[in-house]
Amino acid sequence: MRTLRWFTLLICVASATTLPAQNIAVLADHLYTMADGTQGGPGMVLIRDGRIEAVRTGPHQQAPEGYTSLKAAFVTPGLIDADTTAGISGAYNVPADQDQDEATDPNTADVRTLDSFNPSERLLKVLNQYGVTTVQSAPGPRNPIAGRAGIFKTAGTGAGPATVEQLALRQESAMVFNLGDTPKATYGKKEKAPSTRMKTAEIIRHALADAKAYEEKWDKWKKDGTDFSKQPSHDMKLEALVPVVDGKLPAIFNAYRADDIDTAIRIGNEFHLHYVLASVTEGYLIADAIRRAGVPCLAGPVMQRFESLQTANATFENAAILKRAGIPIALMTGYESYVPKNRILLFEAGIAAANGLGMEEALRTVTAGAAKILGIEDRVGSLAPGRDADVALFDGDPLEYTSHVLAVLVSGQVSYQRR
Amino acid sequence: MQFRKVDSGSTLCLWALLCAGIAFWVQPAAGQATLVIRGAKVYPISGPPIEHGVLLAVNGKIVAVGEEGKVKIPRGATVEDATGKVVMPGIVDSHSHIGIIANPLAEDSGDANESTGPIEPGLRALDAIDPADPNIRMATAGGITTANIMPGSGNVMGGQTAYVKLRGNTIEQMLIPGSIGGMKMANGENPKHYGAKDKAPMTRMEEAALARGIYEKATQYKAKWEAYNKAVAAGDKTAKQPDRDLDLEPVVEVLEGKRVVHNHTHRADDIMTAIRLSEEFHYRLVVQHGTESCYVADELAKRHIPVSFTMVDSLGGKFETMNLDLGCPGTLEKAGVKVALNTDDPITSSRLIIREAALAVRGGMSEEAALKGLTIYPAEMLDLGDRIGTLEPGKDADFVVLSGPPFSVYTHVLETWIEGQKVFDRSNPQDLRYATGGFAVGDRFPASPRGGN
Repeated sequence: MRTLRWFTLLICVASATTLPAQNIAVLADHLYTMADGTQGGPGMVLIRDGRIEAVRTGPHQQAPEGYTSLKAAFVTPGLIDADTTAGISGAYNVPADQDQDEATDPNTADVRTLDSFNPSERLLKVLNQYGVTTVQSAPGPRNPIAGRAGIFKTAGTGAGPATVEQLALRQESAMVFNLGDTPKATYGKKEKAPSTRMKTAEIIRHALADAKAYEEKWDKWKKDGTDFSKQPSHDMKLEALVPVVDGKLPAIFNAYRADDIDTAIRIGNEFHLHYVLASVTEGYLIADAIRRAGVPCLAGPVMQRFESLQTANATFENAAILKRAGIPIALMTGYESYVPKNRILLFEAGIAAANGLGMEEALRTVTAGAAKILGIEDRVGSLAPGRDADVALFDGDPLEYTSHVLAVLVSGQVSYQRR
Repeated sequence: MQFRKVDSGSTLCLWALLCAGIAFWVQPAAGQATLVIRGAKVYPISGPPIEHGVLLAVNGKIVAVGEEGKVKIPRGATVEDATGKVVMPGIVDSHSHIGIIANPLAEDSGDANESTGPIEPGLRALDAIDPADPNIRMATAGGITTANIMPGSGNVMGGQTAYVKLRGNTIEQMLIPGSIGGMKMANGENPKHYGAKDKAPMTRMEEAALARGIYEKATQYKAKWEAYNKAVAAGDKTAKQPDRDLDLEPVVEVLEGKRVVHNHTHRADDIMTAIRLSEEFHYRLVVQHGTESCYVADELAKRHIPVSFTMVDSLGGKFETMNLDLGCPGTLEKAGVKVALNTDDPITSSRLIIREAALAVRGGMSEEAALKGLTIYPAEMLDLGDRIGTLEPGKDADFVVLSGPPFSVYTHVLETWIEGQKVFDRSNPQDLRYATGGFAVGDRFPASPRGGN
C-alpha cells in the first residue's frame, strides 16, 4: 500500500497572498470517512469552496473535470485534539511564551484561551503536520478553576498569519476545572489555598454556588429592579460561571486519580453541570462509575512521563477499557512541562489502537467521536457533504509508526504537504 | 509461549552432531541449561535475517544461530517454539536514568543531579540506583536488557555512569563484570542553571572552561602518579606517594581511554565544543542526544564519533531541542555516523525504545541501521560490542521475542531474556502490567523480585 505514492500536488500555496478557492478531488485506496457506513474501502472526496461537496465510495473513482486531484493510500478526516494547551503554551517553554496558567488566583474563571492563543505558535504547525486540524485549546493544570477553553483550527486559509477569530470554531467552548495534585502543589507551596484536595473541591463548589446565587440576584433585580442603588455589582468570575451552572457552557474536569474522577462526578452531578472528564489517568479503575454517570471522557496521553503520583498508574489500555465499558471517549494531549513540549495525537491514537482499541476505533476517538463530545460534529470530524474540508492524507495505515502524513487540508486549503 | 522438553535423545541426532564435530554441547554437564528458540524470524544483526531461525544457548551464552535444520538441537534442551514470531538481540539503551530517577517521579525519587556541583566526577550512578524501581522491569517489557544508567545533565561533569544488565536485586548483580562504566558530561542549556544561584557556570564559555580545568588538573595528577610509580620502579626509596584523589581518579581513566565520555549535547555548536575538548585532551566521546547532530554529520563521521540520539514526539520544551527532526538519524546514517536510539528514560518510557527507532525509520533511516541502533551500535558505545548487541556464538544469550515486524505499532514485545533467563513474559498477567502500565506497577511493593544471576 505504501508503494502507492502521492501524486504531485498542483496547488501553489507559497506565493499567493490570498488563496483562490479550489475544487479538489481526494482519491483514496482506503477511505475512512468516519461518517455512517463501512470504513476503509476505496473512494473519493470532492471539495468545493472549502467544504465537502460529495463523498463517493467504491473503486475506480475519477476526478471530475475542473478538479485538482490528490491521491493517497489512506485518507481520513482531519484529527481533533480534544484538549491541549497548544496555542497558549509555546514551544520555547520560557515565561515569554507560557500563557496557559494564570497561577495567581485559584479561581480564574474570567480568563479565556481566546485572549492568549497565538495563531503563529510553532507547535500548532507541528500538530497540523501530524494531521491535527482542530484543537480544543484549554488553560493549564494549575488552577482549580482555570478559565475558558476555545476550539480552533490549527491553520488558517489565507497565506499570511490568521487571527484567532478566523481560526475559532468556538471562541468559548468550555470552563476548565482542575482537581488532584497540581492545584494544591501550586498554592500549597505559597502557603495559600488550596493545599489539600478538600480545599480544591470546596473552592469549586463555593464558586458554583456563588454563581447560582449571583444569577438569581441579577434575575431578581432585572425583573423588578428600578432602584439603581440596589443594582448588584458585576463580578467577572461569577458571570463567567453562570452559563456553567445553567448547563449552557460545558465543564471540563481534569482528574487523574480515581478518587479525583469520582470527586468530579460528585460535583458535576451536585450542580447538574453539562460536563466531561479529562485526563482520566485512572479512569479504567472506575469505568463503571463513569458509565453510570453517563459522562464522556477525554483520555489523556499515556506516553506522558510519570511526572507525579497521580499519573503513576497510567496504562496504555485506558482508552480500550473505557470504550469497552460503553463510555464515549476522545483522546487529548493535554499539557507538557518539558521535552517534548506537546504530545502528538496521531501517535497517542496508535498506542491506543495497539493496546486493545483497534485501528478504526482509535481513529474514531480522534475524529467523529471527539467531534460529537465537543459538539462540533456538524462542522468537523467526518467526511460528509457540508462539512469543513479538513482532510488528512497518508501513505499507509495512519497509525503505523513508519507511515507518513502526505498532506493536510484545512477548509480545503493545503496547510501541509510532505516534501 | 509453549515450552517443551526434548526428553528422549535421538541417537540419529546425536550421531549427526558428533559428525559435525560440535559435540561439546550435545550433552550438557549437570547443571548446564540448554535453551533452544526455534521457528522465529531471527535478526542476528551480525548478518541478514534468518526466516526460520534457531537460536541455541548454553549456560546463558549463545552457542549457535542458524537456519532450522542447520542447527542441531541437543537432547535435554528446553525448546521454545516461536514460529511466526521475531527474535532480535536484547536492546541496549545507551542513555537511561532508570533506577536513579525512580517511578513514580516524586520529589524524593530523583537522584540523578547533584545540583551542588558543577564538577562531580567522583559521583557514581551505582551508589544511587534502586534495583527495585519499577522502571527497570518496565524497561525489560520494552525489550531492553542492558542500559547505561547515567547521572543527569545538570552538571558539567555529572559523574560515573553504570553499565548494567536489567536483572538482579542488588546493583552488584546488575553491573556487568569487568565494565567500569563511562563519564557523564553536559554542555549547553542545562548546566547553566547555576547562574540563577549566582554560581558558575552561567554561560557556555564557563562550562567549557570548567571542563578544561578538570581535565588539566587530572592531566597533572596523572603525571604526578606516573612520576611516582616510575621512581618506585627505579628503586627510589625516598619517593613519597601522592595523595589519592577520588575525584581525579575516574577523570584519569577518561584520559587513559578506559572510560568513554557520554556528553549531553544538543546544539551543533555545543557538539563542536564537546569535540574540541575531546581532541584537546584526547578522550573518547559519545554524543548524547545530538538533536542538531545532523548539521555537523560530516564532522562526526570523519572523526568516527557516534551519536546516541534521543527521539521525542515534538520539538521544544527548551531552546536546544527546537530543531528536533525525525530525519536527523537518517541523515547521520547517510553521512556514515553510527547512531543509537535511546530513551533518556524518564523523557521517554523505556517500554517505547523500539518506537524511538521506528520514528527514525519514519524520518528516513533504514530499518537495518535502526535495528543496529538498538543493539550493536549502543553496545559498542559502551565498549560491550564483543559481549552483547548481536546474536552470535560466544555472546551473552540476551534476546527479545516480538509478536511481529520490529517497527510496527501493532507489534508487542512478548519475551525478554537475559543470559538465558526469561525476565519478561507478556503472557504472564503480572508482567503484562509492566508493558502496559497501570494497576499500581508504579508502586514498588507489588514488584516481586526478579531473581539474581
